[in-house]
Amino acid sequence: MSALPVSLPTPRDENWKYANLRGLARARFEPSAPPSSETQARVTAALPAPLDGFERIVLIDGFVLGTPVTTSPSSPTMVNTIETDRYFFELNRRLRTDTLRLDVARHQKRAIEVIVVSLGTSHPAVEIALAEGAELSLVERHLPLSTDAVITNLVISAVVGSHARLELSRITQASSKAQHVETIELHLGEGSTTKVVQLTTGAAASRTTAFVEHAGRESALEWHAAALGEGTQSHDAYVRIAHSAPGAKTLQQFRGIASGRSRVSFNGHMRVDATSPNAQSDQSLKCLLAGPEAEADVRPQLEIYTDAVKASHGATVGKLDPDMLFYLLSRGIPEESASSLLKWAFVSDVLSRLSNPALRAAVEHSLERVLPGAIAARSGT
Amino acid sequence: MLSIKDLRTTVGNRKVLDGLSLEVPAGEVHAIMGPNGSGKSTLAYTLAGRPGYEVTGGSVSYRGEDLLALEPEARAQRGLFLGFQYPVEIPGVNNVYLLKAALNAARKQRGLPEVDAFEFLTLVREKMKIMQMDESFLSRGVNEGFSGGEKKRNEILQMLVLEPSLALLDETDSGLDIDALKVVANGVNTLRSPDRAIVLVTHYQRLLDYIKPDRVHVLARGKIIRSGGPELAQELEARGYDWLLTDAA
Repeated sequence: MSALPVSLPTPRDENWKYANLRGLARARFEPSAPPSSETQARVTAALPAPLDGFERIVLIDGFVLGTPVTTSPSSPTMVNTIETDRYFFELNRRLRTDTLRLDVARHQKRAIEVIVVSLGTSHPAVEIALAEGAELSLVERHLPLSTDAVITNLVISAVVGSHARLELSRITQASSKAQHVETIELHLGEGSTTKVVQLTTGAAASRTTAFVEHAGRESALEWHAAALGEGTQSHDAYVRIAHSAPGAKTLQQFRGIASGRSRVSFNGHMRVDATSPNAQSDQSLKCLLAGPEAEADVRPQLEIYTDAVKASHGATVGKLDPDMLFYLLSRGIPEESASSLLKWAFVSDVLSRLSNPALRAAVEHSLERVLPGAIAARSGT
Repeated sequence: MLSIKDLRTTVGNRKVLDGLSLEVPAGEVHAIMGPNGSGKSTLAYTLAGRPGYEVTGGSVSYRGEDLLALEPEARAQRGLFLGFQYPVEIPGVNNVYLLKAALNAARKQRGLPEVDAFEFLTLVREKMKIMQMDESFLSRGVNEGFSGGEKKRNEILQMLVLEPSLALLDETDSGLDIDALKVVANGVNTLRSPDRAIVLVTHYQRLLDYIKPDRVHVLARGKIIRSGGPELAQELEARGYDWLLTDAA
C-alpha cells in the first residue's frame, strides 16, 4: 500500500471540527482478507428477512457475495494531493477490494437491498448509474454483527440521469466499538428526483461526508437525516449541496438526539451558484440535548450567488420540552417511556420518510434498544 | 377519596396556596371557583405533581395514600386524572398511542395484562362517540393543530378511556362554545359514579348548569374561604367575589 500524501483530517480543518477521528489515529486501514465460506454462512444466517420485492446483495468487509451484479476491481488513480474533505474517499479508492456497480437502464425500475457487514477493516464501494427515466429504490443497511472495533470506510457514488428517480434509504446501525466513515457523492441530472433518508445509530464514532451537485435543470433533492447518540458516541455529518443549474430544488432536514455524554453534529452547506436561477433551498436542522454532558452542534450554511432564489434555513438545539414531558407523566406514562416517546416524536419527521413499510417497521423495532419504551407505547394500533 | 389539610405551595418564590384544606368524598362532584390568581390551577398542578410547584407544608391523602410522596406518573397510574386548562401539543405522538400507553400504564399498576388491541379500539370508538369526535382524530398527533374546543374534548376523551377515580378538571369550560360545552359536560356526567370523585375548577357558573355539583368552594388568597351547596355558585354569579373577599379579610 502506498502511504497517503496527507494525514487524517483534524479538528483544525474547517469541516472536521466536530468529527471524532481519534479511534482512527493509529489505524492501518489495510483491508481485511475475503471472508471465508464459514464466515459467509454465519453472516448469511444472521441476516434479517429480505424485503419483499427487493433484490438482496450482501457485502462482507467490502467483498460482494454471490455477485449477482457486475463487480469490478478498482483501478486507483494516484494523486499527489488530496483535498482534506475527500481524504476518506481517496483512501477508499486506493484500498477498496470490490466495487458494487448498480446500473438501471433507460426507463427500467429496480429495487435493491444492500446489506453491508463489517467484521474487520473494509472499504466498501457502491457505484450507481441511473439512465434516463430509470428508477431505483435502494435500501442500504449496515448491521452490527461484530462486537469488535471494526473500521468501515464506505463510498457511494451515484449518477442520477435525466428524469431518473433515486430513493436511497440508509440505515446505519453499527456496533458500539465501530469506527464508521462514509463519503457519498450524488450527481443529479435534469429533471431528476432524489430522496435520501438516513438514520445513524451505534458506532463509537461516525462521520458522513456528502457532496451533491444539482447538475441538471429542475433536479430535486430531499435529504432527511437523523442521528441518535448515546454513551460517549460521536456522530458527525458534513453535507455540501451545490445548486449549479436553473430551478434546482433541495429540501434538507436533520434531527439529532444527543443522550448521555454523546456528541451529535451536522454541518449543512448549501451553495446556489449564479448558474442556478430560480433555485429553492430549504433547510431545517434540529438537535435535542438529552444528557447533562451531551453536546450538539448544528451549522446551517447558505452561500448564494444569484438574486433569483428562494431559501430558508433554521437551526435549533434544545432540551426535551418539560410541558410535553409532564403531560405524558400526568397520563401515567413512566418517565423513561415518556422521554423515549418524545425523542421518537422528534425523529419521526425523518423516519416517516422511509416509504417501505416493512423497512420502517424493522427500523422502528430496532430503535427499541435506543429508545426503550417508545415502541411498546406505540404498538398495537 | 381526597383529603387536603393545610396545604401550602410555592411557585418560584411566590406563596400561592396558603393553608388550603378540602375534603372530597367518593361519589361527589365538587366545584372550585375563585377570582383570577387565587390559586385554582396551582391546586390542580400541585395535586398532579407538576415540577416547580413546591409543597412547603400540609398533607394530601388520596384513597388513604400520601399523594405528595408519589411521582406524577404514579399518581396517574393510581387513578388521578388532570384535565389541563391548556393541553400541550405533541407532534409525532399519535393520540391513539398516548391513549393506549396511558391505559396500559394504569392497568399494569392494577396487575392487569395489557389491553387487547381489538377491545381497546372498541372502547376508544365508544368514548369518541360520546365526545362526538371523528375517527381521523386517532391518527393525529396529540392536540396537534387542534382548536381550543377540540383540545378540551380530547382531555375528556382521555378521561373517559382511563376512567380515573379522581378527576381534576382545570377550567375545562374555558374557550368552549355552548355546543361544545354541552358535549364536554355530557362526557363528564357519564363518568359520575359512587366510587369516583370529580373536582371542577372553573371561573364561571355556566359549566355548573350542565354538571351539577354537590359542593361548591370558593378559593381565594390560597385557601378555601367559603363552601356551600350548588346555590353558592348562583350567588357568586349574581354577586361576584368581592363580598366574600371583604368578609374574609
